[in-house]
Amino acid sequence: MTTSSSNGASPGGKRLPLDGIRIIDFTVVWAGPYATMQLADWGAEVIRVESLHHFAPQTRGLIARPPPEFAINSANQGGAYPDDLLGDRPWNRAPNFNDHGHNKRSVTIHLGTPEGQAVLDRLIEKSDGLVENNLPPNIEKQGITWERVSAINPQMVMLRVPAFGLEGPYRGYRTWGNHMEALLGHPVLRAYPDLSLDYAPSGVPSDAASGVGGALAFLMGLRQRKKTGEGLLIEAATAENFVPFIGDFIMDYTMNGRVHEQLGNTHPTMAPHNVYPCWGTDRWIAIAVRSEEEWSRLCGVMHQLELDADPRFATMESRHEHRDALDARIAEWTLTKDAYWVMERLQFEGIPAGVAMHERDVLENRQHEARGFWRTISHPEAGTQRHAGPLWSTTGSSPRPARHAPRLGEDNEYIYKEVMGYSDAEYDAFEEAGHIGMDYDPSVP
Amino acid sequence: MAGVMPLDDVRVLDLTRYTSGPFCTRVLGDYGADVIKIEQPETGDPARSLPPFYQDEPGLERSGLFLMLNTNKRSMTLDLKSERGRELALELAANSQVVIENFAPGTLDRLGLGFDALREVNPGVVLTSISNFGQDGPYRDWQGTDLTLLAMGNMISFGDPDHYPLKTAGHHATYHAGYVAALATSMGLMSAELSGEGEHLDISIFEAHTHSIDLRLGRTLSYQYNGQIAGRAGLAGAIGSGIFPCADGYFALNAGAGLVNRMIRMVGREDLLEHPDWSSVAELSKVERAEEFATILIPWLLARTKAEVRAECERFGVLGGPLNTVGDLLEDVNFQARGFFQEIDHPTTGPVRYPGFHSTLHRGEPMPERKRAPLLGEHTEEVLGDVLGLDAGAIDELRAGGVI
Repeated sequence: MTTSSSNGASPGGKRLPLDGIRIIDFTVVWAGPYATMQLADWGAEVIRVESLHHFAPQTRGLIARPPPEFAINSANQGGAYPDDLLGDRPWNRAPNFNDHGHNKRSVTIHLGTPEGQAVLDRLIEKSDGLVENNLPPNIEKQGITWERVSAINPQMVMLRVPAFGLEGPYRGYRTWGNHMEALLGHPVLRAYPDLSLDYAPSGVPSDAASGVGGALAFLMGLRQRKKTGEGLLIEAATAENFVPFIGDFIMDYTMNGRVHEQLGNTHPTMAPHNVYPCWGTDRWIAIAVRSEEEWSRLCGVMHQLELDADPRFATMESRHEHRDALDARIAEWTLTKDAYWVMERLQFEGIPAGVAMHERDVLENRQHEARGFWRTISHPEAGTQRHAGPLWSTTGSSPRPARHAPRLGEDNEYIYKEVMGYSDAEYDAFEEAGHIGMDYDPSVP
Repeated sequence: MAGVMPLDDVRVLDLTRYTSGPFCTRVLGDYGADVIKIEQPETGDPARSLPPFYQDEPGLERSGLFLMLNTNKRSMTLDLKSERGRELALELAANSQVVIENFAPGTLDRLGLGFDALREVNPGVVLTSISNFGQDGPYRDWQGTDLTLLAMGNMISFGDPDHYPLKTAGHHATYHAGYVAALATSMGLMSAELSGEGEHLDISIFEAHTHSIDLRLGRTLSYQYNGQIAGRAGLAGAIGSGIFPCADGYFALNAGAGLVNRMIRMVGREDLLEHPDWSSVAELSKVERAEEFATILIPWLLARTKAEVRAECERFGVLGGPLNTVGDLLEDVNFQARGFFQEIDHPTTGPVRYPGFHSTLHRGEPMPERKRAPLLGEHTEEVLGDVLGLDAGAIDELRAGGVI
């Protein structure tokens, strides 16, 4: 199926691998949107189907119309609105959405009505793919099923990204990535060795892994379609997708019956292997020493050659055994140093060392600068900022400059008229009936 | 059409070692690619010497990490530093669609196997390179490990605000970059098929992590919105959110002002929802309300096991999950019912359970069975015969010369 690519040709005039592929996007929160972000970067026309009558939580912000104190409360957690102001349409100003939404389009359809479902039928007819990552029973109740999609368009590649599976005991169990990872055992593996488990970390690398895996699975679906001439359903549960990332711990359990817990930053053999405090507020340097030679060089840099002579630190094995004492000595040395000084100095000696970077560090990083990692995008309701570029570089055709994340309903006219072929009169009637607009219905909190 | 897999017409010449590259080619093998893993004669992939080992005894065929990372591949030994070895590698590349490597930048060129050399024998070839910082830039030759690369990719956000930043478990950082490389390779393959021209793909582990959506990516935009560095604020802090003790362990929960009404019902206090202090988002966003709710929530949790709390969460649509060990996971009812873990036999370990597929293609037939990781050089003769058409005499000669 060919679609008119509305993004224009890529700078080199070459086609992008997914030019002409149209994808209906029902994704929410992080994992699903990250998958369609990859597909959009490489040329797919990704259309987010939204509704003025339903707010998908944690997608365009936590809620549609948060009170001002709510905006301030979430500001220090990485969910800030521009200048801490909600604006007239807060849903167009939420940072996670405005990041993963670039290059995508937004159409609004009132799916709670029979006419809305008929519009969706038409969009399914005109598309190559559909991607969703909702709680399976919920999205199925809204009529998004493989049976329906494949009956309308047998060529469709439908990617579903449930938390635990489309079938099975946890089919209806709702989680975010952090709860799902907790159930898999990841936080217990990586928790602090010396603190109780209520300090276990709640970061969610599984969401990033699921976005990558989802995009990959979708490409595999396109390839399979090309071979068989038929569409197919692909199921990429975030939990199953992530288990291989802790696969060596799984193998130690299934081969040897061993259960690892609370490893923190320790390594099975290396020492030193930790993060060490540096001068300033919340500044840390990660150091990993892989060999005796690297250890000697580190002692040289620290001007603490007596450490080199300390029998407790004589071999990798003995350093590992006495790693608490070792870490304390190294921390004493790093504490008065600038983290970047330590990184540059140790890298000069060929020792793996890296600043535990934060937002400003990565935005100003000279390696990212040299490789053109960041790209500037202007958003009509949120200003101009830098966003991560494509996830890899290539000598082939590279993604074109990105368009801002779509405002709610921003592409209604294009999608209803040009993609689905509705007339001006029909479009007006849909608008009248509450399908089309750029503001949530007042009933949405 | 029975038996079709998406990559069953793709051959991958796999020059990778350790963790990132093998994770990448393992995934391509799962989707049907013919992965030919080139290993150094005698010692093989250094990952064969990484723990955990079966029965804790090191050995080239005993590493659980290696066994997990190298299913669905054929192993061939080849000395890439010898002239004949290089020629054979180029012949294999001429008969492959994809070449993947994770040497230090510049190494492949020094071996005479760089993109230009590969393109000469195969103009449509997709070359995927995975490295710490990318193939160029001021950090190109810097050193890195899972810990230091993750640190640089905005690790500051992982952990407790009053303690040090924590890495992800094991080899997650390099595995993730390998997964990105599998996606990049598939995209590059589509692109090369469209244009007829090969491509060189450049995956930086540092970039893969700076780019990760978890807490990290959105925060770089959030920082530009209001100038605040989020640090390790995490997901806790809001009402009904954090890691809490229960009768037999710990449980992670999230609610916040938008969703806490479900949790209030779960703990049997729907009466509160009638009260003005508990029924508006503005009230529920107040710190004192979060503190007050903890005094209701924690006693309720302490009277229940992880399994009981999980079932109640599911019933009330509350976001939460038990803090399990990997042992709990292997016995978990959902993964057992879905048959996710796969038993794979191996001459050293016997049958052992492995993590299953990342995704399931609903093709009207089960996913193909996974083949165990190859023994070192197990398929050397098979590959030389199948792919390059060498006869027994020629193979013996290579063996005598130490090339294979």
